[in-house]
Amino acid sequence: MKSIEFAGEWLWLGNLGHAAVILTFATALLAVFAFFQASKEGTSSYYDWGKRFFLAHSFGVLSIVAVLFFLIFFHRFEYYYVWRHSSLALPTHYMISCFWEGQEGSFLLWMFWNAAIGLALLRKQTDLKAPVMAIMAFAQVALSSMLLGIEWGSFHLGSSPFELLRVERPDFLQIPILGSIGIGNYLQVITDGNGLNPLLQNYWMVIHPPTLFFGFATAVVPFAYSVSALWKGGQNRSWIRPALIWSLVCVGILGLGIIMGGYWAYESLNFGGYWAWDPVENASLMPWLLMAAAAHMLLIAKSTGRHLFSAHLLIQLSFWLVLYATFLTRSGILGEASVHSFTDLGLSGQLLLFLLAFIGLSYWAAVQSKTLRSTIAYALVAVLVLIPLVSMAIPDSWEAHFTSIIKWAGIVLFAGTLVGFIQALLKETKEDVATEDKVSSREFWMFLGSMFLILSLVQVFFATSIPVFNKLFGFKTAVPQEADYNRVQLWLAMPIMVLMAMGHWFRFRETPLEVWVKGLLKTVGLSLSLSVLLAWALDIYNLGYLLFLFASVYLISANAWYALEKKKKSWLNHGSSVAHIGFGVLLLGVLISSVNQRIITQSAGIGLAPEMDANGQMDAKGIEFNRENAILYKDRQGQASNYGVTYMGQRKGTGFDSINEYFLLNFVDTLTGDSFQLQPKTQNNPKMGLLAEPDTRHFLSKDIFTHVSYQSSMDKPEPFAGFKQDTLRMGETFTTSSAKLALRLDSFSSYPTAEGLVVQLKMACSNIGFSESPTEAYRYVYPQFKINTASGAFESAPVESDELGLYVSIQHMKILDPNPKAENLEFVIQTGEKKPVIPYVVVKSIEFPWINSVWAGTVLMVLGFAMTIARRLKEQRELLA
Amino acid sequence: MKPLHIALIVLAAIGLATVISLYGNTTQYVSFYEAAQLSEEHPYKEYHVVCQLDKSKPLEYNAQEDANKLVFYAIDSLGNASRVIYGKPKPQDMERSEKLVLIGKHRAGDFYATDILSKCPSKYEDAPVQVGQVQ
Repeated sequence: MKSIEFAGEWLWLGNLGHAAVILTFATALLAVFAFFQASKEGTSSYYDWGKRFFLAHSFGVLSIVAVLFFLIFFHRFEYYYVWRHSSLALPTHYMISCFWEGQEGSFLLWMFWNAAIGLALLRKQTDLKAPVMAIMAFAQVALSSMLLGIEWGSFHLGSSPFELLRVERPDFLQIPILGSIGIGNYLQVITDGNGLNPLLQNYWMVIHPPTLFFGFATAVVPFAYSVSALWKGGQNRSWIRPALIWSLVCVGILGLGIIMGGYWAYESLNFGGYWAWDPVENASLMPWLLMAAAAHMLLIAKSTGRHLFSAHLLIQLSFWLVLYATFLTRSGILGEASVHSFTDLGLSGQLLLFLLAFIGLSYWAAVQSKTLRSTIAYALVAVLVLIPLVSMAIPDSWEAHFTSIIKWAGIVLFAGTLVGFIQALLKETKEDVATEDKVSSREFWMFLGSMFLILSLVQVFFATSIPVFNKLFGFKTAVPQEADYNRVQLWLAMPIMVLMAMGHWFRFRETPLEVWVKGLLKTVGLSLSLSVLLAWALDIYNLGYLLFLFASVYLISANAWYALEKKKKSWLNHGSSVAHIGFGVLLLGVLISSVNQRIITQSAGIGLAPEMDANGQMDAKGIEFNRENAILYKDRQGQASNYGVTYMGQRKGTGFDSINEYFLLNFVDTLTGDSFQLQPKTQNNPKMGLLAEPDTRHFLSKDIFTHVSYQSSMDKPEPFAGFKQDTLRMGETFTTSSAKLALRLDSFSSYPTAEGLVVQLKMACSNIGFSESPTEAYRYVYPQFKINTASGAFESAPVESDELGLYVSIQHMKILDPNPKAENLEFVIQTGEKKPVIPYVVVKSIEFPWINSVWAGTVLMVLGFAMTIARRLKEQRELLA
Repeated sequence: MKPLHIALIVLAAIGLATVISLYGNTTQYVSFYEAAQLSEEHPYKEYHVVCQLDKSKPLEYNAQEDANKLVFYAIDSLGNASRVIYGKPKPQDMERSEKLVLIGKHRAGDFYATDILSKCPSKYEDAPVQVGQVQ
């Protein structure tokens, strides 16, 4: 068979991209080898080679990024990734979002940050630089293999962003029309791409993913330092400072990325809030919680030299959790559990392999002495890592026989590895479990706080992992609801906040009794009185909420007092107080905006109670539906709590935005008389159906959030009836068959088109008839018809107005006199009628009080982290100088 | 016993209690039949039913009568059918959905859903071929 020549493809660019992927993968492998040798032998020539390979690797990463950008920018739809995630109409800033909409792109983004961090680490001269770089390069091997796109039978290794559309979607070459122009010209019919998910067409989606992935990428650095330190002997302490700095960067940036995601959800999703305990949110929260705990352990280790074991353990666990999060969100295992969508590229085996490989790496580093135990450890890790490899390689037809053996062997080995790792770590760090922190020491309380962070993590972990356990053990447990999380996290957050408030009033090692007692008494006193005032102002009387309120107020005031009272060498030294205050302000905002939120469109009473029982009593056993949505008829004011709301009509967006329909809602606050407009929108997306996006008005002390749940145009339209035909001249009036509507032909206009002529009539329509009164109420309708000059074909473009309940079609035009004046024309017009429909929308509006406190708290927290990082960097510089 | 050890034991107990309470509170994916039986025993618990919209029966939503009431019929994976009453407006992609997860309680022969998750076939997958004009 003659091979087909495909016209118009820019194959060389894709080949360049493929080559760059292979270059990055190969150089990362070589860098691992060179840095590994360098750390084993301590020679600088290996290190220099490693450096060169890593530089070449970074160049490769940049090239992949550049080629992919180029392809998206120039709409090269012959590439599957470009076709799948972008379209011609996208503005440039959304083209950036296309870049990471797909899995390949997001791995690329992660790799890009990792490479940048690696380059930054290359500039540092620490005694652990070689092993640290070996681990950085190892992470790059894992990430770049995700882009390889190699297949041998059922074995997949990665997925390339440079795969061709016709390879990925051979059905495109079967389009019937290609018969006439030849398959080789298929690109002529691929005129546009599939486009970007409309929910992601949001400003926050341009900056949220890079921030989040930068956070993820920074998590590898403390891990690399911790593993390297163990590798070089458990008593090594030079890793603590750099690990501390990078863990602070991670907590700060990852936290910011998580909240940005929440802000995006709040701005563009309908669930009404910024946090839903969605598995994808949880997946990034889990490593954050652990990294926050780990950073505090590192602080203890730096100041007192104690708790090395916990520092190592938490740092390594948090990086495992980053990988676990990636596995959860990218393997498709969450399927039904998430509003987020991540198509499964069939790479779950590979993702699992990475997770296990890094756990194996941790174990390997922890058992460095040549004993029998280390041999067992190596065997255990090797078999564990082999399991996903084997399951990736066996053909689907065999899989059924092996799955359960592999699964159970895997679970047993995994448990063995974990136990072995912890045991080895304990031995290696020579942690003396018998020695004890004093109760009057800062580390005691810091340690306790970290443990509560871990408790919070435990609950999120077990709840989020339910789909995984279902899959592993064949359970049928349903995914937990938001309330299942809130109920527990509310109580776990309290001790965390209280400990965050107390911590600063203790000194490391030991604190004189009168110092800490005084510190605690005055701040507790202040916070108690402040929280009583706040509780009264906010009408909060529930015990749990009251305690939470106190804890957050205590957290804020104790840290503020401490920062104001203690004179420090530099203002930067107050970073931790600022970060703690920020966290307190954030959680206070969470409390107030959740507990005091009001669904203002909610109407009184409970809807939908089941039938009456025999005694005529409402049998409502726990069935409560709040009537949360209100119907608003056009131009009539409805009442939503203290707001008068009027649906003013709707408009279409322009240009790229024309797919969106905006509903104009006018709000008047009846208490203050202030008015404002909200424009929630709906998008009738050809691929995703009808989507609704909220609109929110931000005030200092509250937000008004509104979305459209339903609109009258979604009702099945009633057909027109009562058809009637009339002949009409200019200025004449007639009535419809039921005589409910009067129509008057006012004028006509026409314009030529390429095919012929379009004629449009302007008719006034009224339901009270026409008098000569200037105040009479009528609306104009504009029926049209087209005449094709060549064929003489006549085509009517009738008016169908649900609002008027009127159908008008021009059936025929007669020219009574060759002189083409308006009065010489006669039109045959058909009218139909139905019950007029008043357009309406069903909306839900929520008032979120003091939600700005959540965002302000985030900003403060990030500022606090920035101050702390600056301080630690300065300290390190002074130390080296 | 030192303070830290006591603290650790207390923490471990809290952790265990958290996890146990989590699993004690979660429910299973059930059929309509099981949901009906379980709702008799535990009237305040909510159950998850995986089902399909029964397109042969009417789906009633009249916003002008009651914007917060949707009534439809669904068939679960075992073939049990039930009338479903939902106290919110009709989800926008309801008719297109290939699978529904209903969360709610069974009462007097009907399933009262407080939440509906609908899974649409083409929602996030590839669009069919879009043929443009031949230039």
